[in-house]
Amino acid sequence: MNISTPEAASQLITLLASLMLVLQLLLAVQQMLVTNIRIFALQSLLLAAIAGVVGYAYGAWHVYVIALLTILGKVFFLPWRLERLVRQIKIEQEIHPFVNMPASMLICGALTVLAYVVARPITSLERIGSNTLAVAIALLLTGFFLMINRRKAITQVLALLTMENGVMLAAIALTTYGMPLVVEIGIFFDVVVAVMVLGILVFRIRESFASMDVSKLNELKW
Amino acid sequence: MLLTSILCVPLVIGLLCLFARPRKLVEFLNIAGFVSVLVLGVKLFKTVVANKGNAVAEWGEFLRADALSTWMVLLIAVVSLATSLYAVRYFRRDLADATVTERRFREFYVLTPLFATGMLLVVLANNLGVMWIAVEGMALSSVLLVALYNRKTSLEAAWKYVMLGGLGLVLALFGTIFTYAAAVGKTGAAMPSFNWSRLLAMAPHLDHHLMTLAFIFVLVGYGTKAGLAPMHTWLPDAHSEAPSPTSAMLSGVSLKIAVYALLRFHILTTACLGTGFSRNLLLGFGLSSMLLAGPFILVQKNLKRMLAYSSLEHVGLICVAVGMNAPLTVFGALLHMGYHALTKPVLFFAAGNIHQQFHTLDFRRIGSGLVRTMPVTAVLLGLAAVAVSGLPPFGLFVSELTVIAGGFTSNYAWVSIVILTSLIIVFCGVLNKLAGLLLGPSDGKHPRETISASNVAAMSLPLGTLLLFTAWLPGSLRQLMEQAASIIRGIP
Repeated sequence: MNISTPEAASQLITLLASLMLVLQLLLAVQQMLVTNIRIFALQSLLLAAIAGVVGYAYGAWHVYVIALLTILGKVFFLPWRLERLVRQIKIEQEIHPFVNMPASMLICGALTVLAYVVARPITSLERIGSNTLAVAIALLLTGFFLMINRRKAITQVLALLTMENGVMLAAIALTTYGMPLVVEIGIFFDVVVAVMVLGILVFRIRESFASMDVSKLNELKW
Repeated sequence: MLLTSILCVPLVIGLLCLFARPRKLVEFLNIAGFVSVLVLGVKLFKTVVANKGNAVAEWGEFLRADALSTWMVLLIAVVSLATSLYAVRYFRRDLADATVTERRFREFYVLTPLFATGMLLVVLANNLGVMWIAVEGMALSSVLLVALYNRKTSLEAAWKYVMLGGLGLVLALFGTIFTYAAAVGKTGAAMPSFNWSRLLAMAPHLDHHLMTLAFIFVLVGYGTKAGLAPMHTWLPDAHSEAPSPTSAMLSGVSLKIAVYALLRFHILTTACLGTGFSRNLLLGFGLSSMLLAGPFILVQKNLKRMLAYSSLEHVGLICVAVGMNAPLTVFGALLHMGYHALTKPVLFFAAGNIHQQFHTLDFRRIGSGLVRTMPVTAVLLGLAAVAVSGLPPFGLFVSELTVIAGGFTSNYAWVSIVILTSLIIVFCGVLNKLAGLLLGPSDGKHPRETISASNVAAMSLPLGTLLLFTAWLPGSLRQLMEQAASIIRGIP
């Protein structure tokens, strides 16, 4: 398939975006921590691929830069950093969510449907792909759910990162070229620094509480 | 190069403190840095006033300071300076008590200038994307400050702060992207400018639907950072668990920076839609924050948590005043920002002194009769409490009266009545709690406080400035605030 035409690129992006959503649902039911991190890396790779397709189809070099940054940061560096953190603090691998697997699957499914409904009136504003915006909103909503549903601090960080993936997807869907490069680079560094800071915090929580279960953080009330 | 130097000074100070060894040098660098930021801020203020309110811009409009930004720069400079003055004795005592380690001490002096840089970039950046990045930077540099004491509770507070803040920022980024998308395709260029000033110039042509959505996302997002109810749950935790100098910066100025970010989008949305859509939302969220703060103050058992809820009240008032959109109320909101920034740090500084003496902030465990054991702190705390509850002769009385009067004269009488009611509740709560704490007999078990010049100076300088500016508001400052008010109201 020749993806240099905008139509073909659009179709390819729709496919890649829906794969991102599939990975998100997988994340909701996956029980192993390291696998979770790798699923996130894969999802980020798809995001980078979308940026790459846009860059190729529209001949925009600065979108390639975005793709490259995504690969360096979210596909390699952050997953590596998070996996190292998991090894350092020697936590057990299994995630114990509040809601069990089938129920989480159902809730995520419902949230995805909701996202499509919410995005319906604004799909006309999409510049690229079809229903990419709905996928972005679905990533945001299921990210919310993942965050609420997880006890371990690291999994909450992952949930936040998948939401950020959703937002970046929306940026491409709505504007084609993404945001000005200075903004994209700034966001990239912010996310990297955020994960480093969160890593420090997770480490300290683990030391003080001898656990990473954030539901134990409940001393402060009104 | 004025704007660039305002940004660079604290950044450089932060980096220098990373390498400076002697403690005294680190402390001195911080104070000297914030003094120079204040001097540069005053210079910027003079330039903007001399320009008749025209914005100062640098780097091809990448940095831009109009009257509103300049006002915020002044607030940041004053609060940071007071904080760095107070921090000297505070951390020396903490080090002597071994409450903080040497490493944490250094962490504070590196992160505080970076925190200030983040805030300054928020108000000076013209590009809305860069503004988001700066808000995130400001949040990240303050997280570790909140967790400085490494107690279980402070880690919990920091975790809530960073997670809720992170969620808020993701939503705000979504809103920011929507705003940009609203401009895409409306100009000839494939990638339109993301500068606020340019977007404002083409505001009526922006996509209305997207701008509406954008404002809702931004309101929830930056509203979380501003601590607007019901997204405020992180606020009392973070503000009470952070070391007192950091609490002062969080409450005194960083909440207002988030409100500032919100205001930029409010101005844009109003210019685009031409309706009271964003105004009414601000009014609603502001009122809910004000109404929620009162009851929590009445039943509060912890001094710093009570102060945090009082900040919630004041941020609410600022949003309500902007929401009413009368010339008088918007001016009152800006005045209130300034007066509150001068008062709140003093309260947190006094709370810090009390915490170091009693090792608790629980009203019942501190007991009563503080005026006997800690006379200086108690008197300053009492004065600041009188100020923050809106009693004369302090400025907050004037600004609150301005807002309420503005409401009565502009079809918002009911809002003014709600404001009055909630102010009275807070007034009763704060004065009741503090009267119990300060007056009455003392159990005599605690030693008298040792008085240090820098500590008293850090607390009395802001209060003195507050009194000075209440009695005499310089004409140029008034002019600046009037210009800022007309920017907020969308009148060029």
